[in-house]
Amino acid sequence: MPTLLLLMLVLPLAGAVAAAALGPSRGEAVRWTSLLATVASLVLALVLAVNFASLPRPEGKRTFLPEFVPGAPGLIPDAQGAVTKTREDPHATSWDLLPLGRGAIQFYVGIDGLNVWLLVLTALLMVSSVLVSWTSVTERVNEYYAWLLALGTGMLGVFLAFDVVLFYVFFELTLVPLFFLIGIWGGPQRQHAARKFFIYTLTGSLITLLGVLAIVLVCYERSKDWTDNVGELTFSMPRLVEMVQTIRQGMGRMNAQELALWLNIQRWIFLALMAGFAIKVPLVPLHTWLPLAHVEAPTAGSVLLAGVLLKIGAYGFLRFCLPLVPDASVSLGAPLIGTLAVIGIIYGAFCALSQDDIKKLVAYSSVSHLGFCMLGMFALTAAGLTGSLLQMINHGLSTGALFLLVGMLYERYHTRKMADYGGIAARLKLLGFFMVFICLTSVGLPGLNGFVGEVLVLMGAYDLQMSQGQFPLLAAVAVTGIVLGAWYLLTMLRRVFFGPVKEPRVEGHGTVADLNLRELAALLPIAAACVALGVYPQPVLDASRRDLQVVADIVGTASGMQGAAAPAEHVEQVAEEVRR
Amino acid sequence: VNNEQVVSALLNVYPLIVPEAVLLVGACVLFLGGTFRPGRSLWGAAALVTLAAAGVALWFSPQSPVAPTETRVALFASPLYVDRLAVLIKAVALVGGAVLVLCSWNEVPDRWAAEFHACLLILLAGICLTGSANELVTLFVSLELVSIPTYVLLYLPRYDNPAQEAAMKYFLLSVFSSALLLFGFSYLYGMAGTTNLPALAEVLDRSRSTALPGVALIGLVMVVAGLGFRITAVPFHFYAPDVYQGTTPSAAALLAFVPKVAGFVALLRVLGFVPHEIVTTRGTELLEATGVVPTMVLGAQVPHLLWILATVTMTLGNVLGLLQDNIKRMLAYSSVANAGYMLIGLVVARFQPAGSGASYPGGVEAILFYLVAYGAMTVGAFAVLGCLSTPQRPVEKIDDLAGLSRTHPGLALLMVLFLFSLIGLPATAGFVGKLLLFWGAMAVEPNAMDALWFRMLALIGVLNAAIAAWYYLRVAVVMYLRNPLRPLDKVHAWPGLTAVSLCAALTLVAGLYPASLLVPIQQAMPRASSAATLSAVPQPAQANAR
Repeated sequence: MPTLLLLMLVLPLAGAVAAAALGPSRGEAVRWTSLLATVASLVLALVLAVNFASLPRPEGKRTFLPEFVPGAPGLIPDAQGAVTKTREDPHATSWDLLPLGRGAIQFYVGIDGLNVWLLVLTALLMVSSVLVSWTSVTERVNEYYAWLLALGTGMLGVFLAFDVVLFYVFFELTLVPLFFLIGIWGGPQRQHAARKFFIYTLTGSLITLLGVLAIVLVCYERSKDWTDNVGELTFSMPRLVEMVQTIRQGMGRMNAQELALWLNIQRWIFLALMAGFAIKVPLVPLHTWLPLAHVEAPTAGSVLLAGVLLKIGAYGFLRFCLPLVPDASVSLGAPLIGTLAVIGIIYGAFCALSQDDIKKLVAYSSVSHLGFCMLGMFALTAAGLTGSLLQMINHGLSTGALFLLVGMLYERYHTRKMADYGGIAARLKLLGFFMVFICLTSVGLPGLNGFVGEVLVLMGAYDLQMSQGQFPLLAAVAVTGIVLGAWYLLTMLRRVFFGPVKEPRVEGHGTVADLNLRELAALLPIAAACVALGVYPQPVLDASRRDLQVVADIVGTASGMQGAAAPAEHVEQVAEEVRR
Repeated sequence: VNNEQVVSALLNVYPLIVPEAVLLVGACVLFLGGTFRPGRSLWGAAALVTLAAAGVALWFSPQSPVAPTETRVALFASPLYVDRLAVLIKAVALVGGAVLVLCSWNEVPDRWAAEFHACLLILLAGICLTGSANELVTLFVSLELVSIPTYVLLYLPRYDNPAQEAAMKYFLLSVFSSALLLFGFSYLYGMAGTTNLPALAEVLDRSRSTALPGVALIGLVMVVAGLGFRITAVPFHFYAPDVYQGTTPSAAALLAFVPKVAGFVALLRVLGFVPHEIVTTRGTELLEATGVVPTMVLGAQVPHLLWILATVTMTLGNVLGLLQDNIKRMLAYSSVANAGYMLIGLVVARFQPAGSGASYPGGVEAILFYLVAYGAMTVGAFAVLGCLSTPQRPVEKIDDLAGLSRTHPGLALLMVLFLFSLIGLPATAGFVGKLLLFWGAMAVEPNAMDALWFRMLALIGVLNAAIAAWYYLRVAVVMYLRNPLRPLDKVHAWPGLTAVSLCAALTLVAGLYPASLLVPIQQAMPRASSAATLSAVPQPAQANAR
């Protein structure tokens, strides 16, 4: 299995090299190579996911436990120094990239409940992206597919990484291919969009890197308390989570000053981590790069940007912020991000409502939907986290498919203005059908995937505030977001697909035909996944339950901690809970 | 240390300078031979052979102490002390020198090729000496050995007005900075009564206190100013953009890399950031346990000064880099900004947690790693420009590179690699270098004074890296996202392409498998067995006790 995992990660990259080497003149060969690489990667992802879902997952330990880790298990340096290592470390691998004294930055990848479905989603959308670019990209074909496939490896790597620095490495490596994809094959404002996207994300992620280094160093410093002043330097995410738990167990023994310092450190680290992830999600004041990048990107770029890359931000919150700085996530994150998320839901929806450009509408709808995702996550309950993870996958499927459809429409008529269209459903029956169907999944029609996620998210948000004896304001406002979502999407459907037929003038192109087999192949798997998730989401939820529960437990022990002013006996009680 | 020991230490110097001697002999041969026969291929090849010979000499030459006497004598009496760090720096100089010879191969006129390469060899000998200098006067002489050939080098490949202006500017400012440096050295000597670096460190260490004596402070400030010129730290950077713009790409590459190596190595040595091991043996019998000569105490002021220098250097370098249209000027400001990043390592070198032994790389290792990485990416970028420029068609504006990905796909890809490395994107050497520098800044002793300020430095550093991304990216945008305006000629020059490939290989290898470079660097650092002597700032209690 570890070999398959590596193969899944490397296949797109190998395809990229092959595509680049084939040269610009052999377009067909390049396309088929890319398709082969992505399909193989998807098959491997599915095999791995099925295998993972059938694994018995150990309960009890309060940290992530990645499966299928390539390399031999790592070794723990003994107390005297780094020279002899005897004990096996369950939270590391033997593949060191950069030894840093007693620790090492490692090539530590694996699958657990949080990333397994995101991997499948990524692999699936990669196939669709290759298919949808088949005829629309004719210039510099080999370069295009090379960057697209390299992006695939970067995205899979982000989700797979269990080493904090490795995560950052892949996180940044997704920027480069997308920069070229937007910049070379994008719309009229592509240069500006590409640079804005790149700089925005880079700035945030560099600050995130500092946060990551800070958490490693804080754990190192504090670990001296229980390792005879030697300290344990690790970059392994599961180990760091464990160490943070150990430190928090000691919170009961801290005096008020130490406790305030510890909470303060957490708060700064949370803000540093948040910088990169909030831009990526994007949370509302930091979203300005998104509409531009989405609109200017070529179709495949938009699909992957909305379908996968935005999830990296949300995934980062889930993987880093909640388990590594739980107290700050509760005291600072929940009110701050909850509020921003709700503002995003409403603001994104109103922006979408006022667009005439279909692609821009879908772009703003992403802001709104990701708001739901973040709201659920920072409800900090198991239900909310589950809903949030499900919402990530749902949004990937629905919005990915919406961008695919918009791209297909644009390829036919070369305009995205809603005013130019009317009654297209009568003209292009299959395309119309899929558009209606995907819009319904996105709106959250019961029986389709969007519904399950949204309900769980709202339940989580409702619980959070009710349990604090407040009026569930966030959930109430968020509900209006769903209504608005239905409004703008159905308005778009009415204007473009129904009513009197009004086709844009097609200049210099052949007759406009309905979806062909290739386009159906790109859409059908996504639509099928939408139905499957809506009707029977249980297997997906089961596979993720254990790790979501870990996160929920960790933040659960921090819930109710209201910053530095928490009364000592309460802290004692929390510490007690942690020990149990 | 008695007189006989001093004499023997001085006599033992000769085996230590064999690599430098080989370089100088080679240079003399080139100077003489050049008067008989011109020819760039001939003398370029001769320079490469000399460098290879020096490499062999380096491999076989001994390290200090040469005679199995006490280390203490060699350390406190000899003008040169070749420790593992010195060997590493010599190796870097020789490899870098080979790349620079390849870069300039086709740029120098046939007529001046011998002189050009001979000057280059002398300059490299200067770097090698700087690495092992153990004494202020020797250090000054080595630095001059780097500077003087540089003036000639700037004149030789081009003699139009801008090139002459560049050379003149560099000459005047360099002389000025040397004077500042000498002034600083004289104060240090006046205070300590010795020019020997370890002895100087001990004297300053003896007077341990958090405040430096005023004389020492003036001396150190002058030293930092004089060396700041070589590393293009703001406000001593004024020459860089004009000189880089006025000269050829390969000479600019040389200016961007070589003086920085000299400057940082000299700073590390003079400020005592690299402690020496003392192993006193008679035969094989160990007389004295391994100890480390204490590093110089810099008080609170010098780190503060360096903090300001680092912040201003990187910020100004990057902000001015944003405004440039000329690619060589842009790379000049980038070189200023990179000096700022490396200064971060210098600021925090003293404040790494003690007691952790060789726990993780600190500021000094980060500087050394970044120097090599920076050399690979900057020389690589200039080498690409050198490959594309012809005397009729020099690459000046960023726009001259428009559409390079169509006309020269390979070179464009490598240029993007160097640019991304300069931005600090993962999988390149630049990323690992920045990671180590920021790691050093974040990993300062939590109880050290001003620990918060050092963490702030890391934050300022990453924000600068983001600013810098804007102008590096601009070049990538021009090369990949725009159509060619006036296509550049095809490139057939194999030496230039070899240089570019070497730099690219180093950038990638150090980026993908950083241990390959970091491990030798860590091995070159003296191992501190008694970590207490490495302790950053004296603990207040200790200081009072003294």
